[in-house]
Amino acid sequence: MICKQTRSLRLAAALSATLALTGTFASTTIASRGTIASRAVSVDDTGHLHLLKAFGSVLMEEGSAAGTLPGQAKVRLTVGSTVTASFTIQTKYGTIYGSGSAALHSSGRYSSFGGSLSVSHGTGSYAHAHGSGKLYGVIDRRTSSLTVQTIGTLSY
Amino acid sequence: MRAHSRSRRNDPRLIATDHRGLPARRALRQKPSASLKLTCVLACTFVAVLAPACAFVAVLAPTATATPSVKLAASFSPERLGKGTTIEIGFHVAYPSGQAPLAATAIQFFLPPGLGIATSELGLQNCLPTRLELLGRAACPPNSLMGHGSATTAVPFGSRFVTEHTSVTLFSGPVQNGNPQLLFVTVGEYPVIAEVIFSALVLPAGPRFGGLIETKLPLVPSVPYGPDVALLGLQTTIGPAGIVYREDIGGKTVDFRPRGILLPKSCPRGGFPFAVRLSFGDGSSASSSATVPCPRRRVG
Repeated sequence: MICKQTRSLRLAAALSATLALTGTFASTTIASRGTIASRAVSVDDTGHLHLLKAFGSVLMEEGSAAGTLPGQAKVRLTVGSTVTASFTIQTKYGTIYGSGSAALHSSGRYSSFGGSLSVSHGTGSYAHAHGSGKLYGVIDRRTSSLTVQTIGTLSY
Repeated sequence: MRAHSRSRRNDPRLIATDHRGLPARRALRQKPSASLKLTCVLACTFVAVLAPACAFVAVLAPTATATPSVKLAASFSPERLGKGTTIEIGFHVAYPSGQAPLAATAIQFFLPPGLGIATSELGLQNCLPTRLELLGRAACPPNSLMGHGSATTAVPFGSRFVTEHTSVTLFSGPVQNGNPQLLFVTVGEYPVIAEVIFSALVLPAGPRFGGLIETKLPLVPSVPYGPDVALLGLQTTIGPAGIVYREDIGGKTVDFRPRGILLPKSCPRGGFPFAVRLSFGDGSSASSSATVPCPRRRVG
């Protein structure tokens, strides 16, 4: 009985450490032998990006991302009747790759869009990354600067 | 909104509904009916007295129902891959001999893949359809202008059709259900004074094309019990040619030319494909395609 209580406390401590590490809500799956198999993290990041180059309906953007997964973000945005995006977020612990699609919500100088995204793979600590979520953004069509917000769950 | 209207042959006003059938966002703005009637009277007098000088295009009497043909033309100006350009696109409708022109009810312009309309600086402001219908083109902000051109229509008078040349102005409108919207304003002075407003949506297209500009045209009635006004041709630009925008920098208003529609860095195999499909009031349709050849690469 005492042993079970101790084991539960250890598990709780491990979970707390994970929470502290990610700085956000996280759920951890513990395999039967006590090793960590995967983590699921709620992600809420905002990126402020500037134009690298534009051709046709494609905008290549780069900038910093802040939030759950701070790092350097690169986005390839194809803006047509719908918006499609592929992105990378390079963090301290690895890189995350994903894509998304969205519908235009407004036009004019500031064009906003919203839709969904998915994370397909990664490197480093995120080698087994996958996840899904929502994608929101605003493009300043005069300067081609992009503000983008990603909200979702990431497993790795 | 995709303009969709019903013709009331005894009432010069047009009532428009949007594509969901919701009422009365007017797709047509005309001078008061008294003015229209006066214009028609004057025009009919003109037709009777000066008929030889008038450009009749067809006899009004019922005729065979062979399908009209349409010919599309498209070009870029300038033609430089990866750079901004203005699209020039237009079509002309030809009818078999003896056939009266038909009113077009819908136009679909298919655009090549990779054109950056949304990534251009065109339409930095939107023109609101309600203000446009109420106040005319002057209600649209200068930074909502996206192109201009002309249209030719066939207006029935007496037993014949008379051609009318109208100006076309293209504005950016608010997004509709996630689709970018364009607003066309055509203004005719003679023989009928009329301002017709219709909207188009930029929609996804099939695999060969990158986008589709689709519009439902309002039927424009002519004389009571006569056929509706028929569209014979339409040419328009979509791009910065002849357009100047304004912005405030440090409290000063500065003019600038918006970046054009960006061409992709590489040319689609066989060139840039365009197509048009017209639907007519009798249920028939006609299509045409055109290809803009790949621009030659500049050396140096």
